[in-house]
Amino acid sequence: MSKRKILIVNLTRFGDLLQTGPTIQGLKALHPESEITVVVERNFADVCAGLPGIDRIWPIDMDQLGRLMLVPSTDGLRAAYATMAIEVDRLRAEGFDFALNYSSSRMSAIFMRLIGVADTRGWTATSDGFRVIAHEWSRLFSAACLNRRQAPFNLVDYYKRAAGVSAGPRALRWDIPAPARTAATTFLTTAGWDGQRPLIAFQLGASRAVRRWPVANFVAVGQLLARRIGATIVLCGGKGERAFAEEIVAGLGTGVIDACGRTTIAELGGVLACSDVLLTGDTGPMHMAVAVGTPVVALFFGPALPVDTGPYAEDHVCLHAAVPCAPCDHSITCLEPFCRDRLEPAAVAEAVVARRAGDWNAIERAADQWPGMDWYRTTFDAGGFADVQRLGRRPPRRADLLRSAYRALFLQELDGASVRPSGVPLPADAVLLREFEALAAEGAALAAEVETLATAGDDLDRLEDAAKRLELLDHQMFRRGAMHDALTLMVQVFRFEKESLENVDVSELATATRVFHETLARRAGRLATMLEPEVASAVVFREEESHASVA
Amino acid sequence: MIDTLEQNLAALRSRDRDLARRIAEAPSLAGAELPAARAGVPTLIVDGHLLHNRHDPAAEATQWAGAAVARLDADGAETAVVLGFGLGYHVDALARRWSGRVVVVEPDVSLLRTAFAAWDLRAMLARVEVAPTPLADEAVDGWSRATILQHAPSLLRPGTPLRAVEERIAGRCAARSLRLSILVVSPLGGGSYPITGYCARALQSLGHDVHVLDLAPFAAGADALTAFGHTVPVRQAVNEAFGGFLATGIRATVAQLKPDIVLALAQAPLDLRLLEQLGGLGCVRAFWFVEDHRLFPYWKEVAAGYDYFGVIQQGDFLEEANARCAGRALYLPLAADPLVHQPLALTDEGRTEYGSPVGFVGAGYRNRRIAFRPLLDQGLKIWGSDWNQAGHLLSVLQRDGARISTEDSVRIFNATTVNLNLHSSTYVDGVEPRGDFVNPRTFELAACGAFQLVDRRALLPSLFAEGSEVVTFEDAGELRDLVRYWLQQPDARERIATAARVRVLAEHTYTHRMLTLLEGICAREHERFARRPRATTAADVARLEGESPLGQLLGRMPATTPFALDHLVGALREHEGDLDDPEALLLLLHQFDDLYVKEHRA
Repeated sequence: MSKRKILIVNLTRFGDLLQTGPTIQGLKALHPESEITVVVERNFADVCAGLPGIDRIWPIDMDQLGRLMLVPSTDGLRAAYATMAIEVDRLRAEGFDFALNYSSSRMSAIFMRLIGVADTRGWTATSDGFRVIAHEWSRLFSAACLNRRQAPFNLVDYYKRAAGVSAGPRALRWDIPAPARTAATTFLTTAGWDGQRPLIAFQLGASRAVRRWPVANFVAVGQLLARRIGATIVLCGGKGERAFAEEIVAGLGTGVIDACGRTTIAELGGVLACSDVLLTGDTGPMHMAVAVGTPVVALFFGPALPVDTGPYAEDHVCLHAAVPCAPCDHSITCLEPFCRDRLEPAAVAEAVVARRAGDWNAIERAADQWPGMDWYRTTFDAGGFADVQRLGRRPPRRADLLRSAYRALFLQELDGASVRPSGVPLPADAVLLREFEALAAEGAALAAEVETLATAGDDLDRLEDAAKRLELLDHQMFRRGAMHDALTLMVQVFRFEKESLENVDVSELATATRVFHETLARRAGRLATMLEPEVASAVVFREEESHASVA
Repeated sequence: MIDTLEQNLAALRSRDRDLARRIAEAPSLAGAELPAARAGVPTLIVDGHLLHNRHDPAAEATQWAGAAVARLDADGAETAVVLGFGLGYHVDALARRWSGRVVVVEPDVSLLRTAFAAWDLRAMLARVEVAPTPLADEAVDGWSRATILQHAPSLLRPGTPLRAVEERIAGRCAARSLRLSILVVSPLGGGSYPITGYCARALQSLGHDVHVLDLAPFAAGADALTAFGHTVPVRQAVNEAFGGFLATGIRATVAQLKPDIVLALAQAPLDLRLLEQLGGLGCVRAFWFVEDHRLFPYWKEVAAGYDYFGVIQQGDFLEEANARCAGRALYLPLAADPLVHQPLALTDEGRTEYGSPVGFVGAGYRNRRIAFRPLLDQGLKIWGSDWNQAGHLLSVLQRDGARISTEDSVRIFNATTVNLNLHSSTYVDGVEPRGDFVNPRTFELAACGAFQLVDRRALLPSLFAEGSEVVTFEDAGELRDLVRYWLQQPDARERIATAARVRVLAEHTYTHRMLTLLEGICAREHERFARRPRATTAADVARLEGESPLGQLLGRMPATTPFALDHLVGALREHEGDLDDPEALLLLLHQFDDLYVKEHRA
């Protein structure tokens, strides 16, 4: 159905905003007559200006809102209230007919409820204030955020599918404003770059300390790059990274430019565009480099996972710490983040050198030389979904196989695609899934009984009894989902589906509940089939140990 | 003269017929003189005490009213409560200058008759309310945002009860209108421990900010102290160190929270030194000694450290407590929490498990063992600990004498046909003849709507009507016949138990007790509490916002809700159903605050 006025809300992160780009371009292609408005935190309005397809940028000054709320008198809170009330009124008056919320927070859910666009996807809220996640791809995305081990898709693909976009560009894109490009070049040359020597950018920071690679490692890589290719290093980051930058400058001595806190976001795009390669963690500047066409060597450890939030474009390199516990769930506070040390500076330097040269054979060799890390090349599958291709010779691991099976399952379930699973059996998981399929089928039968009684409406005692039994059974399934990682993702999706029911009468509720149980049983069955030995060929894999970190 | 009285009474009659009748029937005011002041109007002298000046009472009244209006405006008052009528000049002056509600309190009906006869009050009576005498709590509760204004000559009149009335009004108004910050400190364990939670919940339900310092987790530490040795010096040293450790924690908690009131329950580990330090931190110190003073004399050591000392006994003890404590002792009998102790619909299985014709829940004191022995053939079940020397009674002891949880007690009370309630005694074999206070079980059984036979206590008749709300016995020897009789009287049992529950809900919940305590405290401390920096409330901002959507939402919230997001959203959670825009906006800002602002506020 044609959409006239489209609202996209992406309130918080710079990287997430860049990753919305393909969706915006895809929407514009699907609905050329539409007007696309993006609500964004004021500091990131400039980022929106470089994203093609946006018609209106709607900045919200969250810093100012925060300052108002810090005013000690009641005037501050009253003013904050009035500010948001006006903002909501203005947005409502726009009469949007389609809204996408890409901020997964309860705050944004209530915001969407207040704006009240009938077709809203992503996090929103019921009329009585409970969070619901609208649209099946948004629910899968939120479930994957909570269950990182099975996260099957790149975030950009969740965004696109939730918006109903299946085509769209296969790369992020960000148009650098000409003045920013000039300013960046001037900054680099003034700082001593001759425009000839290889320029390698290091992005030092990350939003959380657990995602930050140690300073000493950056120094070691910088020294190797200077020795091997005579590189000039440019250090990128915000004011918060200045202290790290100073340590690196002290460690490297010459051939290093400190740009931390010295560029605007747009100028950072210019600096990255001038660079041969960006070495980075899983950060907003990583997406910026991808969007300006600069090759990336991205380091993934802690909660970061290449398939999930890796570069959305072909031919970038992701190095992932191969530890059994990876990736951390976001709720975990790891007391011993040893995974960062698995990414050895020599290997990283090798990856940067080879990627700069476009030498994928060298990268394959390096992957075999450093088996403590997983090496990936970003790519797209036949259906146009972003993917990562593992490099080097390694036996498949259970976590990867499970994720691959989940990917096939949800492509089948949500996209109607017929995808072959990995072909590697996981017999123990398959047995578990079969048992769970039977349990879910029992739930579906019970839900059908509830539906019949609700439709008849003449025996409330029996209805209550059946509903209670169903509730107990659901709890049993939630428990199994929490205990067995082969079930976790589908059970979490099921939870979100159940939560998403709003404003329906008892009979409609009962029907929807039955359908969700039937869907769950079908998914368990399909996943079991993919993992059973008679379907999959026999490949030996190594069982992993479970993680001992502490929440 | 008579005409003026009649005219004024007629004007009053249309608003308060009863008061008009009582004024009409009142005797003349003894010792009253009404000489003319120099300005020509009458003034009033009672037994030589001048209530208005001899020169110009109207000018004096105008001056008084000017100061009163300034005070009312500063307080943001909605109701002016004037203590003392005199001849009413000051009241009249106030009513002319101030547009809010004016109420006059004058307990002396004869004085009112004198004033009503002295001059034409009709215009004033159309504008001013004369509070009924005696003053009911409900009348005080109806005065919103009240400021008390003293007519000093009336309060100084010898023999007037106005001072006591003032304390009562001030206490009740403040206890209801102020949002106090109260820290409730529990003991490490024992019988008074659960009462901590009941008090906290009651105070919260009265609209105050309540924090509980739960010391129960430290009980294991106290028990473990014997590991250091049993010799007297070692025991003393480690006990002292442990007490010091707890005192440090309590003091730090008070220093951080800065509560208006610290309420400690019996056995809470606060010694005189700590209490002095807490007083230095500016909080009012209150204690509820829910124990028998004869068995627990430690109260004498700590009473001096408390400003308010609640006790469950009266008589000489109350007087002694009053003398020993730093402020005032109050009689505060025990109570029940109807959210915990309530009638339950039990399944057949539940009735079989918990029920019996006759039952008792409690510890096996010697007087109970002796008293209950003759009931073995009546279907007796005994629940609770310390029955190990109970001989034949062991055959009816349930769960091998394990401690019974509160939840199970409620089930047993509900499932038992005749509940026994014999107060413990370590002095006598049956009913304690000197027994005065009433135990919690009496209130709890009543709150459950359960029928009980309770031993007679000196203070019981003031709390429950014997015969119609509880059935009592004076001698344990009566028990067997009483049980046999009442087992045969299901209708009467039901009637009595229901009446007892009604009485508890009306007068004997922990909410009632906490309100009494706060009224007692606020009667003296209200000015101190009113002076402290007060958080802006939802009601304050509602007035500023007027009819705006936010103003209307705030106007619907409890008036004392602080205008801060945590509190506002807490108040919203009380409301079920769809959110309107102002509610959703507050939730949104609360989420924003949590995500981005809170960390900067610290």
